[in-house]
Amino acid sequence: MTIPIVPKLLRSHLSDLAERDARIDGRGRWEGRELEVQHSILPRAEGSARVRMGDTIVLAGVKFQIMTPYPDRPNQGGLMCSAEVRPVAGRNWESGPPSPESIELGRVVDRGIRESGCIDVDSLCIIPGEKAWQVILDLFAISDDGNLFDAFALAGITALRNATVPAERFEVGEDYQLSVSKTPMMCSYHRVGGRFVFDATAREELGGDERIHITLGDDNNVHSLQKGLKGIFSAEEFTEIMDNAIERAEELRKIVDEL
Amino acid sequence: MNGGPVARPDNMTKENGAAGPQGNKRGNNLAVPGDDLGDSEGFEPGHGVLVMSGRLKALKKGRIMEKGRLISVEPVHTRYTPRPGDLVIGFIEGCTNNLWFVELGAPFNAILPMSLGPGKVDFGGTRSLMDVGDAILCRVQEVEETHSSVVTMKGMGLRKIRSGVIEEIDPHLLGRIIGKGGETLRRMKAETECRIVVADNGRMWIDGELDGILDVRNRLSEISRVSRGGRN
Amino acid sequence: MGGYGDVQMIDENGVRADGRGPGDIRPITIETGVVPVADGSCRMTWGTNEAIVAVYGPMEAHPRKIQRQDRAVLDVAYNMAPFSTTDRMRPGFNRRSREVSKVTQDALESVVLLELYPRSKIRISIEIVSAEAGTRCVGLTAASVALADAGIPMTDLVVSVASGKINDVVVCDLNKEEDNYGEADLPMGILPNSGELVFLQMDGDLSQDEFKQAWKYNMDAAQEIHKLMVEALKEGDSQ
Repeated sequence: MTIPIVPKLLRSHLSDLAERDARIDGRGRWEGRELEVQHSILPRAEGSARVRMGDTIVLAGVKFQIMTPYPDRPNQGGLMCSAEVRPVAGRNWESGPPSPESIELGRVVDRGIRESGCIDVDSLCIIPGEKAWQVILDLFAISDDGNLFDAFALAGITALRNATVPAERFEVGEDYQLSVSKTPMMCSYHRVGGRFVFDATAREELGGDERIHITLGDDNNVHSLQKGLKGIFSAEEFTEIMDNAIERAEELRKIVDEL
Repeated sequence: MNGGPVARPDNMTKENGAAGPQGNKRGNNLAVPGDDLGDSEGFEPGHGVLVMSGRLKALKKGRIMEKGRLISVEPVHTRYTPRPGDLVIGFIEGCTNNLWFVELGAPFNAILPMSLGPGKVDFGGTRSLMDVGDAILCRVQEVEETHSSVVTMKGMGLRKIRSGVIEEIDPHLLGRIIGKGGETLRRMKAETECRIVVADNGRMWIDGELDGILDVRNRLSEISRVSRGGRN
Repeated sequence: MGGYGDVQMIDENGVRADGRGPGDIRPITIETGVVPVADGSCRMTWGTNEAIVAVYGPMEAHPRKIQRQDRAVLDVAYNMAPFSTTDRMRPGFNRRSREVSKVTQDALESVVLLELYPRSKIRISIEIVSAEAGTRCVGLTAASVALADAGIPMTDLVVSVASGKINDVVVCDLNKEEDNYGEADLPMGILPNSGELVFLQMDGDLSQDEFKQAWKYNMDAAQEIHKLMVEALKEGDSQ
């Protein structure tokens, strides 16, 4: 990924706005962009979702494979989650092997989903020690206008919740809906103009500093945390965004539940 | 083999050029690449138009313009290409001992030599005058055939921009923002009490009180929203 | 080509399994401006194929070795998303994608006025998010729409469409089943205003007469598809 220059005027403008508790696109500090979530939109995927947050657009697709369980866990299937940000999504994304940025994206989303235990890996076993399902969640960016993290996480869990296990195609029984017992939600905060805001746009990311990603489960249990980019934050600041994440995650979960 | 538009019963309407291949699709219409714009006889191809075997052919998606003998296609959106004399807003992207590299939103960075810069410093002192990330208001001095360009800061009003914000807009919206005879822009300046400089590379410098700046930005996003047909 | 003669995909009345006649194409939708951050973009669905194309540029050509002093280069990357196929497509290097990227680049470089942008590149990303059959045709056609949407000067749009043969009958625009068991495939890239070609491939087995029929189907389909492309481009900017 090429890093564009950071205009000094943008940084000072963002600080001016922060002093007034305002944002560059007119949103409130904790307000997300207009959100659009669709599922089952990709005919070749066993589960899929498309999420649009402002001008950020991502797709998620779920595929299944049959794997041999690991010898130490013969009754368990597997979950794999990978993110790809290809040059289609923005002029700063380049082709070639996955960039550190896109690897981080995939791994942070993966941890949130995996650690929430929303997929019961024991239920993925077909024949103990011989055959089990491997669930592969692929996250794919179409347009990057900031905060791919939340878009990926939201698309990912939506695709999983609407996935069908293709047992008939693999001749191991009848198709059934993948059981997803929980709905982990990621909320990301960027330091912009000196304070943290929710759901930053590309322009805020460009003129901002460090970011913090929080994934919360149904019961508000914390499942994954990640601090990214250069910056120093205080315990008080973290408490503030954690409290906010509880509210935001609840709202997002409602949207997914109602689909 | 199919050559050019053919008159058929289903396209024999006036706007399709009922005369078939002999007619043209001009008028205040949109063209797409490859569109046949009529016989080239008596006409001159302007921007976005090419003559191929005696016919005018559109090269870009855009509005067809007819000015006397000149037929051109004004693109609906396009990246900025520098032309000598353009007033532009750039960001300093790098510097060496005696010149700066300036990003203009064009395919290539422009060069600003020390001799055309805002002041004189000792060899090697470029960064003390203007550093990476600074914005400048400058003019395109020359453009080489390969589109590399040289910019200058010698001239009235050209300067390093120290306050306010830079907004990017689609170059094709400039006309709409400025308005007939500059009327729309004048009104916007008066109503928002902001200093506004519209540069040819689709960047605007807006300076004033924060409220005024926010007001200008809202008006700009409304203009681009409308131009996208209300789509966001 | 498989050539499984025993799979019946077209009946004696010339009606195909999905109800189409021999010369009919699958349903197509085209939309521009679908990647808001790109200079130009296009989403095209064709049957259950779906391609998303984004165009960025012209910009300085990097790495230096691809730079041409007298013209621009098109940096075309055709890629199939992991979830675009029945069996998951592993991301990463893929010889087929490389070849499709190259022939697509060659086709588009034949219409774009490259001389206007020396030392530059124009980046064209073709992402197949759902694949049925004929993804290279969808990709090339959608790419030409995205280029036009980006305001890149070009002498014509490119319409790409394939015809082939099933159960010894020449048909236009093979679907997935037909492609799997078909006996030939002839994809072409056609300039709709002149009927000239910028892209041509073929594999399988066609007699001279069958070949002529397939050629004619492609030419006719190109005119039909061209109308949809023009409509999509003009509609995206009706102001």
